[in-house]
Amino acid sequence: MSQALSYAIPGLPYGCVFALLGMGLVLTYQTSDVFNLAFGAQAYASAVVFFIVVRDGWPVWAGFLVAVVFGAPLLGALLQAVLYRHVRTQPPLVKLVASLGMLIAIPAVLEVAFGADQLINPPSLWLSPSAIYLHAAGATIDGTELSTVVVTAAVALLLSLMFHFTQIGLRMQAMAESPRMVSLAGVNAEGVGLASWMLSSFLAGLAGVMLAPAFGGLQSISFTDLLVAAVAAAAAGSLKSLPWTFFGGILLGVAEELLSGYLPSGEILSSGLRPAFPFVVLLGLLVFLPRLRKRWARSDDPLAGCDPPPAPLSSSTGGPLFRRASRGTIVLLAGAFVASTMTWISGSWVFTITEMLVFAIVFLSIVLLTGMSGQISLCQAAFVGVGAFTAGQLADHFGLSIIVGMFLAGAASAAVGVVVALPSLRLGGLALALATLAFGLLADNIGFQYSWSGNGQSGINVPRPQLASINFTSNRAYFLLVFVVLCVCIAVVRAVARGTTGRQLAALGGSELAAASIGINPARLKIIVFALSAGIAGVGGALYASLDGSVSSSDFNTLISLVLVVVIAIVGVSSIEGAIEAGVAYVLLNTVLTNDLPTQYSSLLELAFGAGVIVYVLHPEGVVEVSKRFVLDHLRRQPDGNGLAT
Amino acid sequence: MTALLEVRNLRKRFGGIRALDDVSLEVRANEAVGLIGPNGAGKTTLFDCISGVQRADRGRVDLAGERIDDLGVYRRARLGIGRTFQRLELFSAMTAREHMLVAERERRGDGSLLKDLLWKGAPRRDEIARVDELLDELGLEELADAPIESLSLGQGRLVELGRALMRGPRLLLLDEPSSGLDSLESARLAALLRDICERRQIATLVVEHDLELVHSLAQRVYVMDFGSIIGAGTLEDVLGESSVRRAYLGDEV
Repeated sequence: MSQALSYAIPGLPYGCVFALLGMGLVLTYQTSDVFNLAFGAQAYASAVVFFIVVRDGWPVWAGFLVAVVFGAPLLGALLQAVLYRHVRTQPPLVKLVASLGMLIAIPAVLEVAFGADQLINPPSLWLSPSAIYLHAAGATIDGTELSTVVVTAAVALLLSLMFHFTQIGLRMQAMAESPRMVSLAGVNAEGVGLASWMLSSFLAGLAGVMLAPAFGGLQSISFTDLLVAAVAAAAAGSLKSLPWTFFGGILLGVAEELLSGYLPSGEILSSGLRPAFPFVVLLGLLVFLPRLRKRWARSDDPLAGCDPPPAPLSSSTGGPLFRRASRGTIVLLAGAFVASTMTWISGSWVFTITEMLVFAIVFLSIVLLTGMSGQISLCQAAFVGVGAFTAGQLADHFGLSIIVGMFLAGAASAAVGVVVALPSLRLGGLALALATLAFGLLADNIGFQYSWSGNGQSGINVPRPQLASINFTSNRAYFLLVFVVLCVCIAVVRAVARGTTGRQLAALGGSELAAASIGINPARLKIIVFALSAGIAGVGGALYASLDGSVSSSDFNTLISLVLVVVIAIVGVSSIEGAIEAGVAYVLLNTVLTNDLPTQYSSLLELAFGAGVIVYVLHPEGVVEVSKRFVLDHLRRQPDGNGLAT
Repeated sequence: MTALLEVRNLRKRFGGIRALDDVSLEVRANEAVGLIGPNGAGKTTLFDCISGVQRADRGRVDLAGERIDDLGVYRRARLGIGRTFQRLELFSAMTAREHMLVAERERRGDGSLLKDLLWKGAPRRDEIARVDELLDELGLEELADAPIESLSLGQGRLVELGRALMRGPRLLLLDEPSSGLDSLESARLAALLRDICERRQIATLVVEHDLELVHSLAQRVYVMDFGSIIGAGTLEDVLGESSVRRAYLGDEV
């Protein structure tokens, strides 16, 4: 018993931080319907600012004022004003991508602003981290832990007083129903929304500064992991109840420490389970709490119907002649492209171009899943990884050429896709996204760490294939192979899109209930689309593995899944050409920015994300669609002035 | 002759609220039946239990003598239950024509992933002809290719109706088809519904507040209040009953 307590007590401060972040999540979800996955990054931002200011000789209280009291709410207000204000009435994908984009962009902005130095030994906010203040049940409690618990308790008390006794608290609760109703009742809904963003960002900043000393060094990734636990805490409160979120967070922190105390140390399962544990809890809550599923499935703003309809896709507005002409142009361009790559383009660029096509295949899998059926997966990189490691292990152990191996890789990924789809059948929208994120974390932290799968950080070697007299170690030959596979994948996706399955998927994405009411079996369809999408991703993974010659688990970590979704969403998730252009853009930015520019500019990719996301929330149809519409409007010379807006 | 739809002793509770309390009713083939009652009487819950969106706690539902209350929504749809929704459930980003096409393919039930991959999944000529015919009938031909979000509420209800009809139902559940329509549109809708259902031999159960529409459409009505059926018969008869008048029209009438 006392051993259990000695494991459990160090979990309390972690639990407090989870609780603070979780309450922030619930608060903003209630008032603005955005599930802000960027709170982890905001916590990191406050911790970094606090570190820098105190390092430069300011007193701790001044640093606290700058980083937490003023800085954090200011950042929250800024995000709300620039970004989140626009996404309230948008589909779940837009909301998700907006916050994911900030999750990626905020640490990058900090890196550009303050340099990429490692920040080691962050200062403590209040009590000294090295002094032991209490002994309880064999556990020692240091200053960081004690101050975290005390401050969190105080904040929780203040919050509950605010919600029970002040007008702004009441208004925040009303916002949860319908901000438009609230503004019709004469309340400044924008103002209330802003206040709740500032409050929850303050909580995030506080959590970040308090927990920083426990990490030893400041790294954005550890704060992203924090958020994972906060999401689980928010789920424990059904995304509604602040007290339950609070207790859920505390409980989770304690359970996590207990688990790592009792699991044998040094094994993959125990080291990997810890970061994934909160999401295992979340997955359980999602699957077994029907109330939660319902709250997450859709928002029921009674006045949602007031929004203007989106414009039609430009491909549907052009006449048949235009379509035939553009199809001819595409074939011509593709021919010229292949001819150039096979002849005069230099070898290193052929490698880069091949990589673009590989990523186009991966993005295509997201177009099928998200663009055509509205299902959001945040574990697409894991599907790619399953394919890469399947083909790689087969090549490594059995000398199987990846030309054969990629079919098996696709099959293996498809099978994993079905396994992911099965527990998620009754989930939709954000809940599905988070469930797949849980799976991605499991695959990343546990599944890919074994020597028979991804072999962790050291990875596995995957030789290029040989077919009769063609040796694919030549980049040009390999390019041709990838090009053919891409064309086959495009043909498959097109065939699905124009056929029965594509229309059923579109119906499912539009309204699952109505789809079922005309006899479509939603469960079967979701399994099919997950299998197809994962299968295509797996084929892409096999090609990726052999292109590079070696792959490791870090090639397919969860962050990459998030980046992939953000990129394809910005470029345009609803069309096949979007996948190709996303592949080109992603690799181009990656290669050019990592190899051809001085290192301090390497954050430009993430910065471009941030900018892209802001454009995206204003034009959720994607960059490709917006530019096409722009060109078409000009071609038709419609002098209606606001061609894009209508 | 057994009834097409037979609902026996359905019971459904939400927490402490009795949404359905021992509800029994039947609809015979080719018959149009109205279901009226004040808001919150349990009409939509009853629809949900018949179409499978919710499961009743107790009781049974039979369609043409076959027990269906443990089947999912899509299985019941395949057995011939079509429905529309009080709050529109349209397929966003699809046109009206695409709504009909997907339903038509479901009716035929001959689509498969394999056929898609063999490039045989596109809409066939006879399917398009059938869809165009129904769009014509509903007066939607002008709007067939417009984005569904640009349609008015009444037009959206017509698309929902068309989608349900395209599936070829034996029983059509209409949940407030006239809400959001003006009286002229609503009269036109009644004529259209009567005509279509007679010609296609579809039985209908319609939830409606507009008594004029109920009167011109339904041969008989059930009245619900607080989760129970409190009256049944022709509209004139039930409106004459004092309990119904109290529940539905208020005491003072």
